[in-house]
Amino acid sequence: MTRKSYRLLPHTADLLVLVRAPDFPSLCAASVEAVFSLLTDRGKVRRPIRRTLRPARGSPEDRLLSILRQALLLFSLDRFLVRNAGATMVAGAVEVEVRGEPMDPARHAIAREIKAVTAHGLAVGETAKGFTARFLLDV
Amino acid sequence: MLVPGLVFASRGMMEEIVRDQALRQVMNVAHLPGILSRSIGMPDIHWGYGFPIGGVAAMDPSEGVVSPGGVGYDINCGVRLLRSDLEAAALKPRLPELVAALHREVPSGVGSTGFVRLTAKEMDKALVEGSRWALSRGYATADDVAMTESGGKLSGADPDAVSETAKKRGLDQLGTLGAGNHFLEVDEVEEIFFPEAASAYGLFPGQAVFFLHSGSRGLGYQVCDDHLDAMGACMRRFGIRVPDRQLACAPIGSEEGKRYLSALSAAANYAFANRQLLAHQVREAVLRVLRIGPADAGIRLVYDVGHNNAKFENHEVDGRRREVLVHRKGATRAFPPGHPELPASCAGVGQPVFIPGDMGRGSYVLAGVPGAMRESFGSTCHGAGRRMSRTEAKRSLQGRSAFAEMERRGVLVACASRKTLAEEIPEAYKDVGSVVDVVDLAGIARKVARLRPMAVVKG
Repeated sequence: MTRKSYRLLPHTADLLVLVRAPDFPSLCAASVEAVFSLLTDRGKVRRPIRRTLRPARGSPEDRLLSILRQALLLFSLDRFLVRNAGATMVAGAVEVEVRGEPMDPARHAIAREIKAVTAHGLAVGETAKGFTARFLLDV
Repeated sequence: MLVPGLVFASRGMMEEIVRDQALRQVMNVAHLPGILSRSIGMPDIHWGYGFPIGGVAAMDPSEGVVSPGGVGYDINCGVRLLRSDLEAAALKPRLPELVAALHREVPSGVGSTGFVRLTAKEMDKALVEGSRWALSRGYATADDVAMTESGGKLSGADPDAVSETAKKRGLDQLGTLGAGNHFLEVDEVEEIFFPEAASAYGLFPGQAVFFLHSGSRGLGYQVCDDHLDAMGACMRRFGIRVPDRQLACAPIGSEEGKRYLSALSAAANYAFANRQLLAHQVREAVLRVLRIGPADAGIRLVYDVGHNNAKFENHEVDGRRREVLVHRKGATRAFPPGHPELPASCAGVGQPVFIPGDMGRGSYVLAGVPGAMRESFGSTCHGAGRRMSRTEAKRSLQGRSAFAEMERRGVLVACASRKTLAEEIPEAYKDVGSVVDVVDLAGIARKVARLRPMAVVKG
C-alpha cells in the first residue's frame, strides 16, 4: 500500500497540490510521490530500478522545483513511473532516490497528462508539525 | 500597475472571475516592464499561472519584456476547423464506425506516438518550416498552408534555441492529439448568424465539419521550462522584479529574450506541423471509412489559429501605428476584414476564429472585426473557460458514467482515459454561448455559426 501525504486544493483548471512531511528531505520525496500518484496508480508500479535526483542549488522552493521537474522528466522522456521515493542529505544537499519501472501499458493506466510543474505560487513552509509544500501542476 | 486592467465580461461572470483570482493575475501582468495601454482579460478568463488563461498584453519592443508565462507551456496550442461537403444527417449512421477509426488512427492520450518517425535533421526542418514541412512531405495541400495563421510558419525559428531534451520529447509526438482538453470532434453546423462570412468560410447549415484542438506537445512544454530557468538569472541582471515567479521574463532585445522568441517560433512551427498531420490523418480516415474520394468529401481547411503565443504585430497605440509584441495566453488572434495577413477568401469578412465550447453544448465560429484592433490588440476569447476544478467536476457526476452522460446528450465519445473524460464534463465549463455573446456585444468578434457536437475523440 502507498500512503497519501498530499491533498488537492481548489483550482479551476490545473492541479494545486499541498504536501506535508516531517522534514525538508522527506517533503521533496513525498512531493515526487504525489506527482506520480496523480499520474497513475502507484500501487501497480514495481520497483526494480533506482534513479537519483539531485536538485539545483538555491532556495527551498528552487530545490523542490528542480527535483519535481527532474521527476516529471523521468516520465516524459523515458516513460519511467515512480513507485516510491526516499530522500537523504548528501554533503549538505538533498538527494532523492526514486524506485520504479518503465510504463507497461498492460499494467499501468495513465490518469492524465501532466504538462509541467509550474513555479506559480510555489511555496515551502515550516510549521510546528514539520514542512509543507504547495505547487501547481499544469494539466 | 503600470497600465489599467480591462476585462470583457458580463455582470454574471464577474462574480466567478473575482472569486477565481484571475483579476489578481490581470493586475500582476500590468506590472510587467514595457506593457502598453492595458492588461486584458477575455470573458473565458480563469486562474492560470503567471498570466491568467484568457490574458492578452502587448509590449513595447524596445522597453518591454517577453514572458513565457504570457504564452503558456503549450506553445501555439490552437484549433483548426475542416469543412466538408458531407451532410451531418447522412453521416450519422456511419458515425460509430467513423469515430472508432478516428480514435484508432489519430493517436491520442498520454504516451501515444505519431506515425512519422523524425530524424534529427527532419525535426530541425519541421521546427523551421512548420506546415510547409508537412507540405513537402505530402501531408498537406498548398491550400492548407495558405489557410493557416502566418502561413503555418513563424519566421525567426532557430532549432539551436530548442534544447536536446525538448527535441527528444517531441521526436515521436508529431501528429498526436495529446490529452486533457485537447480533442477531435465531428460537429454539425447548427445555426448561421452571419451568412456572408459562413459562405466565405465554406460553411452551410446541416454540414458535417471536423474540429481539432492540439498544440506543441512535450516539445513546447520543455521549451517553456528551459527558458523560464534562463530568465531567472536575466531578471536579476536587469533588476526586474515580478509579483509571480511564473511571470519570469527578459527584455525583448536581450540575449535571453531573443533566444526564447527563436525557440518559441520553432515550437509554434512544431504545433502547426502537428495539427497539419492530425488533419491529414482525419482526412485519410474519413475517406477510408466512407469509401469516397477527396472530391466527394470536399474536406478543406477553413482556418488554423493558435491561442497561446507571442507575436510581433502592427497595432495602433496612442494614435500611432507601431510594432508591438502581443502575448496571447488563452486568447485568439481576430484580425478584421481587409487585414493584409488574411487569405483572399476571407479578406472581405474577417479572420475565422474558432471557440470550442464543451463536449456537450457545442462550439462557435466567429469572425474578426475592427473593434478587436481598437480594444484588444486584435484578440478575442478562445473557449468557454473552466468554472469547476477537476475534483469538483468528478464529484458532480455522483458516480454516474461520463460516457453515459454524453450518450444521453446524443454525443458519441471515444476516450483514452476515463478520468480525463470525467474532468472534462460539460458542466465543468462556462456556457460558451454566454462567453461568445460578450465578445460579440463588445465588438471584438462577430458570431458566424454555432456547431453542435456529434462525436468526440479525447486523449
